[in-house]
Amino acid sequence: MSESSASALPSGRPSRQAFIHQESLSLDSSCFSSPPVTFLQELPSYRSIARKRTTVLSRDKQSGTLLKPTDSYSSQLEGEITENLDNQSIRKYALNISEKRRLRDIQETQMKYLSEWDQWKRCSSKSWERFIEKAREMTTHLELWRKDIRSIEGKFGTGIQSYFSFLRFLVLLNLVIFLIIFMLVLLPVLLTRYKITNSSFVLIPSKGADIQCTVYPISSSGLIYFYSYIIDLLSGTGFLADTCLFYGHYTIDGVKFQNFIYDLPLAYVLSTVAYLALSLLWIVKRSVEGFKSNLIRSEEHFQSYCNKIFAGWDFCITSRSMADLKHSSLRYELRADLEEERIRQKIAERTSEETIRIYSLRLFLNCIVLAVLAACFYAIYRATIFSQEHMKKEIDKMVFGENLLILYLPSIVITLANFITPIIFAKIIHYEDYSPGFEIRLTILRCVFMRLATICVLVFTLDSKITSCDNYPCELCGYNQKLYPCWETQVGQEMYKLMIFDLIIILAVTLFVDFPRKILVTYCSSWKLFQCWGQQEFAIPDNVLGIVYGQTICWIGAFFSPLLPAVATLKFIIIFYVKEISLLYTCRPSPRQFRASNSNFFFLLVLLIGLCLAIIPLTISIARIPSSKACGPFTNFNTTWEVVPKMVSTFPSSLQSLVHGITSEAFAVPFFMILCLVMFYFIALAGAHKRVVVQLREQLSLESRDKRYLIQKLTEAQRGLRNRLD
Amino acid sequence: MGQCLRYQMNWEDLEEYQALTFLTRDEILCIHDSFLKLCPHGKYYKEATLTMDQVSSLPALRVNPFRDRICRVFSHNDAFSFKDVLGMASVFSEQACPSLKIEYAFRIYDFNENGFIDEEDLQRIILQLLNRDDVSEDLLTDLTSHVLNESDLDNDNMLSFSEFEHAMAKSLDFMNSFRIHFWGC
Repeated sequence: MSESSASALPSGRPSRQAFIHQESLSLDSSCFSSPPVTFLQELPSYRSIARKRTTVLSRDKQSGTLLKPTDSYSSQLEGEITENLDNQSIRKYALNISEKRRLRDIQETQMKYLSEWDQWKRCSSKSWERFIEKAREMTTHLELWRKDIRSIEGKFGTGIQSYFSFLRFLVLLNLVIFLIIFMLVLLPVLLTRYKITNSSFVLIPSKGADIQCTVYPISSSGLIYFYSYIIDLLSGTGFLADTCLFYGHYTIDGVKFQNFIYDLPLAYVLSTVAYLALSLLWIVKRSVEGFKSNLIRSEEHFQSYCNKIFAGWDFCITSRSMADLKHSSLRYELRADLEEERIRQKIAERTSEETIRIYSLRLFLNCIVLAVLAACFYAIYRATIFSQEHMKKEIDKMVFGENLLILYLPSIVITLANFITPIIFAKIIHYEDYSPGFEIRLTILRCVFMRLATICVLVFTLDSKITSCDNYPCELCGYNQKLYPCWETQVGQEMYKLMIFDLIIILAVTLFVDFPRKILVTYCSSWKLFQCWGQQEFAIPDNVLGIVYGQTICWIGAFFSPLLPAVATLKFIIIFYVKEISLLYTCRPSPRQFRASNSNFFFLLVLLIGLCLAIIPLTISIARIPSSKACGPFTNFNTTWEVVPKMVSTFPSSLQSLVHGITSEAFAVPFFMILCLVMFYFIALAGAHKRVVVQLREQLSLESRDKRYLIQKLTEAQRGLRNRLD
Repeated sequence: MGQCLRYQMNWEDLEEYQALTFLTRDEILCIHDSFLKLCPHGKYYKEATLTMDQVSSLPALRVNPFRDRICRVFSHNDAFSFKDVLGMASVFSEQACPSLKIEYAFRIYDFNENGFIDEEDLQRIILQLLNRDDVSEDLLTDLTSHVLNESDLDNDNMLSFSEFEHAMAKSLDFMNSFRIHFWGC
């Protein structure tokens, strides 16, 4: 993300501008002019490359001199190709179907001359390939929302399509997370509770803990107003608090099946670790797929001109309006890139006093950004404390609206903060004088951090409230058992509220802002105000941040509320359809298009940031804060994490000492040092490779100059000979 | 616009097309049905041909700035047989391998068909992409020189096939954007 230096060329390469000068100067000396193309086509290097491309047969074209081989040449080419038929499947050849059919016949006649073993090997590899293909075809049928995403791609381009593919990925991820949790935690409980298998619960009375910690007061249900059910549904209190939605339901120490005892606390912790690890691996795998080719680049540019010109047009666009938009966006993008180039050169030519001025201004503005962030976090902190304190009062005595307001106060403050801060950041970055591309990236990164850190602040606030009894650290049970007898359930309820509120806001914005805006702009377009306002544009960064925010909540909340991933899956499915309808009916495509390659990397990067920010509060809750003794599977342990050391202590002693050895410092420090050494080695290797690449490029351009010189001399000599003969 | 004799594709032909192209069974059948609707009356589908105009006015290609080049590259004798259409769909399908796409992209972008992408080709590509007649000379030369800066390794002001291949292998958008879904298959 650093600003690259002025020159866009890799170092060490002869400057192109200087070269062109030389060319124009020395045309008289006729050393460097380009040889005619027909000559170049006769060179052996050209021919061998053409052979590899397998343009076997000549084409009947009036103009153009793509390789026109003689008969002997073509049979020689065929011979070369058939030798390689073992390695390459026929369809990868750039031939038309009749030519491929001929090749296949040749290959089959060749088969007769092979030994039986080779024949069998070829047959089996072919049938294996066919099987893989059939399997792949099957899986494409199962692909969710294939038609919808294809039609979006055709109408709005690959940038917006990548957003919907990302949403589909999150739906699948949440479904798999829910399946893991279901298999490990829910299934034994449900099997036993509904007497499907012959198993029973194992309840070990807690020993050593104070009797006060294990008291779980059941909320008295006095006069229940009808709206209390709605409140319960929206906030997870009341009748929902005891269901299997929340942690408190699983006050079970084990499930006794016929042959073994299923250790539920261990399964609970392992399911958490499993879904975090799975998410990390899946995200990294997806990002590497698109990133592999990026790793071998020698230049810093993320978006090169080659990429924009040769791969700039989305060939899958089918609508005229989208095509016009794509043309205008390409015009804008190419002009913006050239402009950015000019700005970068200007930046490099800054005087030192200007640089000092700019850097001190940037430092000051960054301090303002930090101050804004701190203010937002403090606001969330106060709102959470206020909400928690007032929730403990008699809820039934409050008015319906006030009740809901207090319950949702943290969510409301977070949403307001997330709405205001991007505007502030956009204004601030204007003064920081970065290049336009960098400006956009930095603003987005700041907004991402802001959005995701707010959830962390919320969880930390809750944690601090839970572990303080009247402003002193709690000694009796380690947590405030009077206010939070079952604190994990309450944290789970906060996460549940955040998720529901997020869904409500998205639905409300679509219904009450997007559609009316579209209606007003279409039907009252005579009013200047609406004309200026214009139709909605599908803003990809904001939408992506929204769903990453939802996914972060899900990751944090899945520990405290095992059914939350299922809720998240449903929520994302609803969001998919709502966003699709909103896109098709209310949005016009933005003239500034997001590139798909850039988008995929950006989405997964933001998701990874979300995952890292989700792991922090989870680790603190699991490892630091004592688990509640009144409810949940960990009543017999000090902290949630204690299950694992207890399990390790049941291993045979050799395995135990191995595990203890791996987790001790005596292992970790040398391991870390070895990792650092390996990393330095690879960095040095990459640097050496880069230097070799630069040298080879220089050598290539020198060789080419020699080639042109020689061709020039040859043509002159030929001309001289012809003149002499005449 | 009549219809061909409604011969169903036999199973061996379908298997062969599946083995020789990157298309799935459903895609081949879909293309076969659409081809039958477009080809002239009374002809067997294997012998019928479509004109270049018919193909370049297909919905998938209608708005593509490179449709003329695509038609030229994939047609034989200025006409499209069923096999040509299948070949074209195979190259543009999602499952096609990168080397095949790069090969045909090179042929498509080589406007003057001299086996190299030179400055004249680049300027024509840029003009097609921008779709405007009033592009300034400066912009064109700027862009061409930037492209050649990045990908012309031997400094001969042209892109040979290996240089183009090298540039496209590093390009992240290429595989995503070089795709066409014919007939909504």
